[in-house]
Amino acid sequence: MAKLPSKRQADINLEDLLRLKRSERPSEQFWNEFDRELHQRMLQTLVKKDPWYLQVMRVFSGRILQSTAIAAAAVLVAMIVVRPAFQSTKLPISVADAQVPAGDVLGALVEVAMTELTLAEATSLPNYESDVISAEATLDEVNFVRDFGMEQMQVAAYDASAYSTDSAQARVAFASAGVASLVY
Amino acid sequence: MAITGSVSKAFAHTEEAPVSERDLDWSVVQRVQAGNVGAFDQLVQKYREHIFSVIYNMTSNREDASDLTQETFIKAFQAIARFKGKSSFFTWIYRIAINTTNTFLKKRSRRRYISYENINEEVTTSEIFERLTAKSRSEKGAMVHELQEKLNDSLQKLSPKHRTVVVLHEIEGLSHNEIAEITKTSVGTVRSRLHYAKQQLQSYLKDYIS
Repeated sequence: MAKLPSKRQADINLEDLLRLKRSERPSEQFWNEFDRELHQRMLQTLVKKDPWYLQVMRVFSGRILQSTAIAAAAVLVAMIVVRPAFQSTKLPISVADAQVPAGDVLGALVEVAMTELTLAEATSLPNYESDVISAEATLDEVNFVRDFGMEQMQVAAYDASAYSTDSAQARVAFASAGVASLVY
Repeated sequence: MAITGSVSKAFAHTEEAPVSERDLDWSVVQRVQAGNVGAFDQLVQKYREHIFSVIYNMTSNREDASDLTQETFIKAFQAIARFKGKSSFFTWIYRIAINTTNTFLKKRSRRRYISYENINEEVTTSEIFERLTAKSRSEKGAMVHELQEKLNDSLQKLSPKHRTVVVLHEIEGLSHNEIAEITKTSVGTVRSRLHYAKQQLQSYLKDYIS
């Protein structure tokens, strides 16, 4: 690099040199091109597609989300309705074992929950009322086959004082079998 | 402020009442916010050369400077609905430009590509340049390129924060207060950075200055 004469150097300071940078200016043609490109890019921003995550969210907020929500609701309702039904089928067995007196076996009430779920029931409020049917009624109304004879029961009930313990256990067992067969 | 002269020409029709540049800009911004997108063009025309100059002197690359200047205006356009006018539009757009450039420079740190803008003819006739150059025309041309290269190279040796202060103060002519507001630092920090940066530049450019 050719050094400047010391006479000239003495007249120049750093600010003078840096001020020369102001003269590095683009031409008018550059600005015309600049304006054209900027307008194009600004228009693109106005019609630009949303980022991918917004698009994904929009898809999920559409039909997929609706169908997913309906399916989830149906599963939820099914869980609410069907689960108590299973629980209620187990209840009479344990109740019969523990609480039903031996003499009232045939007259014991059996709770049967309605386990059949229809679409109308799924969308309406669940009805947890269980039908109360007697053992007699089951013969006609339910496909229930009584697999023990009435005579045996009568014999067992004949001498209640002598066989109270055994017969009571037997009756309980019968009752359990009866309920079980009724339910299943 | 360095841009006041050129800016007032752009808004000559409103010179009847003494309105500050800040108010003028704010009225244009409000028009844009109200849906008059075309009014944004006034702001672009008013600030594009200053923004380009800042970015060009920060990057020493005319193509990058052009892209980043456009990016600055696009960012401003996208965010103008959120601009509340707490600071002036001038400060706001300069801040966007500086932040955009610094982000770019961090990404570009490993790659350094320089492409100079043509020096305007005025420089060759300026008093400073006359003092710098030799007598013959061929020497003048060689001197222009040599000086341009040396100046840009020296600026690129500074850290971005020191370069920012030098560019805004010595080339753009902004005050310490304005620079402090744009860079969100104290005036003392601006002065300190400027002092250090000028010391560095003097050592780099010692062949040209006393």
